[in-house]
Amino acid sequence: MNVFNIYLPVAGIEFNAILLISIGFCVGVLGGFFGVGGGWIVTPALNIFGFHMAFAIGTDLSNIFGQTIGAVKKHQKMGNIDWKLGLISIATSIVGLELGSDLIIALEKAGDVGLVVRWCYMFLLWGLGSYMLHDYFDSRQKVSATDSRNGAGEEAKQRPKLSERLHRISIPPMISFPASGIEGVSIWMILLIFLFTGFMSGFLGVGGGFIIMPALVYLIGLPTAVAVGTSLVTVLFSGAYGCLTYALKGRVEIVAAVIMLIGASIGAQVGSTAVKYVKGYGIRLLFSVMIILAGFSVAIEQVYKITQNQVFQTYAGVVLMGTAMSMSVIIIATLVADARKERNRASIK
Amino acid sequence: MTFKRIATIVILSITLVGAIPFISQAERDPLASEKPETALSMKVDTKKLSGINLFIARMYNEDRVLYATTVTLVMAVLGTTLAFITDLVLKALGLEVSKISHRE
Repeated sequence: MNVFNIYLPVAGIEFNAILLISIGFCVGVLGGFFGVGGGWIVTPALNIFGFHMAFAIGTDLSNIFGQTIGAVKKHQKMGNIDWKLGLISIATSIVGLELGSDLIIALEKAGDVGLVVRWCYMFLLWGLGSYMLHDYFDSRQKVSATDSRNGAGEEAKQRPKLSERLHRISIPPMISFPASGIEGVSIWMILLIFLFTGFMSGFLGVGGGFIIMPALVYLIGLPTAVAVGTSLVTVLFSGAYGCLTYALKGRVEIVAAVIMLIGASIGAQVGSTAVKYVKGYGIRLLFSVMIILAGFSVAIEQVYKITQNQVFQTYAGVVLMGTAMSMSVIIIATLVADARKERNRASIK
Repeated sequence: MTFKRIATIVILSITLVGAIPFISQAERDPLASEKPETALSMKVDTKKLSGINLFIARMYNEDRVLYATTVTLVMAVLGTTLAFITDLVLKALGLEVSKISHRE
């Protein structure tokens, strides 16, 4: 292992290059496939393996910026990006983010805000994950019922129920998003949704990709692939801003960021390509499993904060890394299997 | 991909990663560090550095704006270049992408 150790001049530590590339690759695959930045995986991983938290966040944000450029380009090519919605999301989320961080500052005066935030984070991950899992099995049942009536091959074309209800709110002015196939929706509803996602990002101290992607699907009614691409636009902008601002404060380890980017760029291309082969519900199923497991990692971290036993912190990282690794393996396996099937079909024709 | 298969892969991976702390403790490599080692000093000690590391450390110490601009530009250029190369490799492997129909 020591052969691959490199010295990081800014952070002043030795680190294993293979480990950096592997972390980058896993997070790149997840980023390209789910439309998330993956900061919730990289930051604790780097911290556990020896980085100071501030360096871990700054280096991670720089990596997110680099890996997302290629992923956005690829999703654009596949027609998965609604730029209009993406830009509205960036502008509105900033306001929500400020409100969320203001609430944190206010709560800090009252006591240990970290515990409260982690409880909220945990229940958000589990709540969202369970809802998505329930939605998956519910829709599969409906599809098999439709198949038995009309013959196989029918796909679920309906928008999620929640977004259908929200679309009925018709407070003017109305706005359309042709790239997402959304006609005449109240702009107030859109602004309110992004204000909420921004607020949650600011409150929980996360990039927000994992909140925006499901919000785009379940609240606005975007097709999953478009939600993934559009979410990446927000991630790209927050990554670019985070990279610059953390580097100005001297909290980016450039050598580590560059090495991690080698794995992350390759991973992001693989993850983005996999979106072509996996149906929307498949993406949502994997996403729900991933965030439920991430919720367990936060729960273990919470136990560590309460007991101050270092073992729990290590295992929080282990669960998180294990989740990232297993999801990457599943995504790559699906990509390879589906690409092979497509090639076989093409050769038969 | 069935739910059962996903669950098996997830459990196996977590078990595999779970072994890392034990292996690393035996070797005492960077994985074994229990506490973050990085100091948050604003200046890097350049005495023992040479080559590219010295160049980076000097830039970090002397001009933080230049350092930040360099980091941002390097990440953008490298991200784009690596994505382009990976895309070419994926194309060669028959994994080319074009406009897709959005199936749910």
